[in-house]
Amino acid sequence: MSEPLLTIAGLSAGYGAAPVLFDVTLTVNKGEIVALVGSNGAGKTTLLRSISHMITARGSINFAGRELIGLSPEDVFAAGLVQVPEGRQLFPAMSIEENLQMGAFLRRDTAAVARSFEQMYALFPILKDRRRQAAGSLSGGEQQMCAMARALMADPKMLMVDEMSLGLAPVIVDQLLVVLADIRKAGVTVLLVEQDVFAAFSVADRGYVMETGRIVREGPVAELAEDPELRKAYLGVA
Amino acid sequence: MLFAQIMVNGLLLGGLYGLMALGMALVWGVLNIVNLAHGAVVMLGGYCVYFLFTGAGIDPFAALPIAMVVMFALGYLLQRYVLNLIIRSAQLNTLLITFGLDVVLTYLAQLAFSADFRAINPSYAGANLTWMGVTIPLVRLGAFVTALILAGLLWALLQRTRLGRAIRATAQNLVAARLYGVNPAQLYAVTFGLGAALAGAAGGLYGMVSQVTPYVGAALTAKSFVITIMGGLENPFGILLGGVFIGIAEALAAIYIGPTFTDAISFGLLLLILVARPARSLRGA
Repeated sequence: MSEPLLTIAGLSAGYGAAPVLFDVTLTVNKGEIVALVGSNGAGKTTLLRSISHMITARGSINFAGRELIGLSPEDVFAAGLVQVPEGRQLFPAMSIEENLQMGAFLRRDTAAVARSFEQMYALFPILKDRRRQAAGSLSGGEQQMCAMARALMADPKMLMVDEMSLGLAPVIVDQLLVVLADIRKAGVTVLLVEQDVFAAFSVADRGYVMETGRIVREGPVAELAEDPELRKAYLGVA
Repeated sequence: MLFAQIMVNGLLLGGLYGLMALGMALVWGVLNIVNLAHGAVVMLGGYCVYFLFTGAGIDPFAALPIAMVVMFALGYLLQRYVLNLIIRSAQLNTLLITFGLDVVLTYLAQLAFSADFRAINPSYAGANLTWMGVTIPLVRLGAFVTALILAGLLWALLQRTRLGRAIRATAQNLVAARLYGVNPAQLYAVTFGLGAALAGAAGGLYGMVSQVTPYVGAALTAKSFVITIMGGLENPFGILLGGVFIGIAEALAAIYIGPTFTDAISFGLLLLILVARPARSLRGA
């Protein structure tokens, strides 16, 4: 079996007095693409926020041998676990180029950063054409590309992508899924959090299904896709 | 000729007003704190330059960078150890605490420096240039040029450096800035320090064109507030322009309406602008 990179065990979290996650356990191995799927409100985004420590959580989150509970979002980022947040969260008045530079904020090796720029512009040629344009003026698909490129500029060990497909045309989603596969080939592990189960399973190795704050199914995507209950609930086929 | 003279007076003083507002606008735009102690920091900068000049014999323009470093340190510490504690709470709390800070700094200044009026008078204080019949006081010209230079440096810092990019990113999207490794406590302290340094420079110049007392702060805070709203929060030169606008309006009012009306002018204009174009002037953060 491959080596676990992210191991979440017994994680509970919530907002104020309202608990959202209950005893979540999840593992992502090095080099994998893992899909976390579930309907709107199942707690997927809350799980990502717990990992990036934008909210406090109880339990254990081990990343590359290091406990993340108690760290600040900046420290989680510095450890190499980088999030592409839901809704892109770009810096709207900054150019694409500056958004990408912010991704590399903590990197001091200017030559390596310059190489990353070239890689990003090769991966997303449209971003190169528009690199002086304000991120807020881009289309949804371009913004998602910019958000993913910004995250990759951090040279992450692992990328967590939240609702990548939300509001995007299917043809754009397909392009981005190809990019995810490329990213994995380049050695980056991916946790893909999606409502679009079809899209997520088309690129992932393993999947987790979340319902009302609990993991209810897990396994290789091929097996999950055959599960009659899941097919009915998420794939819309009987 | 009188009209040209009034315009020049207003322009030169307005540059200084703009510089005063720069620090407030920076802090407001990035930290979302309306710093009611801003004028008190300007006042402290004035004393700093005054004592460097009278005590150590340093030329007041040369003393400005020293005062800026001192005020940066003060601002950094205030933000790091006081204001960061309440920055996530309601804006009323930040108003209250900066108001309290203003009171404390004012009375500490009164205890330490007495209530005497202090003017910074270098040997060239009375020197003038005359150009096409218009008299240009050397010190005021120097203050104006200094304001331009500092606005340019602030612009370059914000647009061209890694720190400036982080400051703008935090202002635009705090959540994303944190997700990409910006430590807001540290960044806020540096930003507040920069605002205080600009205020300190403005205070030194203010001491040269006018006089410093412990009580000048409140009026200067009010003026900075008006200029910030007019000039917007994004572009340093927009704020200088706002300062020049107020400076000229005040100079015109002093001659044609009466000198007691100068303070009413800035707030009167603010009211007019907010009524006429509310969205545009408040936008820009």
